[in-house]
Amino acid sequence: MINEENKELAHRQHVKYFMRFLNILPSSLSSHDSTRVTIAYFSVAGLDVLGSITSISIELRSRIIDWLYLLQVQPRKSDGDMSTCGFQGSSTINIELDNANSHYRCGHLAMTYTALCTLLALGDDLSRVNRKAIINGVKALQTEEGNFSATLSGCESDMRFVYCAACISYILNDWSGFNVEKATDYIIKCMGYDYGIAQCPELESHGGTTYCALATLSLTNRLDKLSEYQMDSLRRWLVFRQVDGFQGRPNKPVDTCYSFWVGASLKMLDILHLTNYNSNKRYVYETQDYVVGGFSKWPDTCTDPMHTYLGLAGLSLIGESGLLEIVPTLNITRRAYDHLKSLHQKWDSEL
Amino acid sequence: MSDSGDSDITWIFYKDRPEWSDVTPVPENDGSKPVVVIAHSEKFEDVYDYFRAILQTNEKSERALHLTKDAVELNPANYTVWQYRRDLLQALGTDLRSELDYVEAVIKQSPKNYQVWHHRRVLVEWLQDSNLELELTHDALLQDPKNYHAWQHRQWAIKTFGLFEKEMEFVDNLITDDVRNNSAWNQRYFVMNNHLGWSDMNVQKEICYTLEKIKFVKNNESAWNYLRGVLLHDSKGLSGNTEVTSFCEELYSNKCRSPYLMAFLIDICDEAIKKGEINSSYNAEKALDLCQALATKYDKIRCKYWNFIAEKFRKYQSNQD
Ligand SMILES: [Zn+2]
Repeated sequence: MINEENKELAHRQHVKYFMRFLNILPSSLSSHDSTRVTIAYFSVAGLDVLGSITSISIELRSRIIDWLYLLQVQPRKSDGDMSTCGFQGSSTINIELDNANSHYRCGHLAMTYTALCTLLALGDDLSRVNRKAIINGVKALQTEEGNFSATLSGCESDMRFVYCAACISYILNDWSGFNVEKATDYIIKCMGYDYGIAQCPELESHGGTTYCALATLSLTNRLDKLSEYQMDSLRRWLVFRQVDGFQGRPNKPVDTCYSFWVGASLKMLDILHLTNYNSNKRYVYETQDYVVGGFSKWPDTCTDPMHTYLGLAGLSLIGESGLLEIVPTLNITRRAYDHLKSLHQKWDSEL
Repeated sequence: MSDSGDSDITWIFYKDRPEWSDVTPVPENDGSKPVVVIAHSEKFEDVYDYFRAILQTNEKSERALHLTKDAVELNPANYTVWQYRRDLLQALGTDLRSELDYVEAVIKQSPKNYQVWHHRRVLVEWLQDSNLELELTHDALLQDPKNYHAWQHRQWAIKTFGLFEKEMEFVDNLITDDVRNNSAWNQRYFVMNNHLGWSDMNVQKEICYTLEKIKFVKNNESAWNYLRGVLLHDSKGLSGNTEVTSFCEELYSNKCRSPYLMAFLIDICDEAIKKGEINSSYNAEKALDLCQALATKYDKIRCKYWNFIAEKFRKYQSNQD
């Protein structure tokens, strides 16, 4: 698939690609039914990084915003309990439930995080977000170990949700639901003998979870909890992930998404510029579908919104022209981040 | 993917089943102008309309249990369905052994799904019986020796129920099958760390084992990383174990230029300098030569990184002067 045209960004095609996903998806994607918010996030964030947020009409913009707010779980009417608060990933369980089983309708940390990012990219002022309730929902999900469960209703807990909880707390500018010390201890426990970071203590180091861990340390100003030796060794582990593009673990195949996960980790540790941009770029472009838009994880395989967004975000990190700057910690554009900062100022002045 | 949809001719919609006629289906409330709409099959909509109905009435019955099976088949990632299914199992006092069989079958179909592995874990916790977990994860790892979910479940079961006995044998076999299997090396460390322990003798044994494997495939990051891991438990550090250093020297003089070997030698130099071993042959000059060779010849993709590391050694040199 390496031909001349595939060395450049298929900008127009990617815009169309994301616009299609914002509208209607085939029934073959039914297994994504409970995580539709993430598809909205990848599409909106993708259009944002393409500098094409204005491709979303005013009408569509308000449809997306209204739909997201429909998924916000509010405090329980009978007693004001907030432990289920957050955003759901879809309206599959968006029904009125009695007290006895109200916990089935609950927010999910990854959905809350991606819903908030989507709202920010769309320029929403978050005025309909019940900040206090969501922070209480976050608080209810931190475990004894320091990590977070995804939801109140029977889910695994690991590093991914530590990251989501940190992003939510940062965006809502309220850390009262996030025990930073406990989370930091957990992250350090997840550092392996090779100095990469794993999903849980003693599991294999992984590029995606290393990203989640570093972004959390960065958002909580705790990067200095890693010793100089740990830091240097982690940098080494990360730069060794480059093959042409990046792999997520030693001796695993390269995958487009790690140009973001590992790239952003290196960026947070100030050494992304020491990697080989040209090889990285060449690999990512090999996974681009120049005709209908989208990126896949490997050349000549199926594209999907996640790899498309992360491919673009990875290219943005290395300064590819035609793309907006990405803030590596929150994984949103600088444009959306500036909007967030203005909201923080507004909230501060209201105190 | 899992939506067999309209191709299933024997399928009878819930709305057409007499035994469900007492239930009023609850349609999805996706707002008046939804986005990212999935064009579900009629079957999917039917099943989930009835799932919402029983969830709303909190119906705990055999037919509800059966319904969750259909719902899970259409979308195994729906964590609410799994949670409701668990609540049904408890309320109905269902035989959990048959549920283990069932979830095993689902895991075989969707081995990279978080929810199914979580369901399995809860069942094992309830039963307090981990007899089948090693075999289950073994099977999953035969399909994909690097399946993160399977490893996570396996480590959890081993740690919770103390199933270390035969784990080293399992790890040995995996490493023999594929010496580059990083997950297997990680599991080796897990067994050493939690079970066999890092006595001096064990450290020495692991070093021998790893050096053998490196001799076999020299350019294998997994083995080199493991070697570093073992040496964390050697009080003499990276640079103090003569077996390791002479092995590295020999490889190097036999023209091996694996970046992992060279990086290891650089780190030995770094440690020796930090320890203040002034007369060591592991000094800044040697490190600089290695960085230079990596940057220009043996690991060009990381050229800038090696130049950056070289900078650090140049600073050591100028501090000495
Ligand atoms: Zn990927």
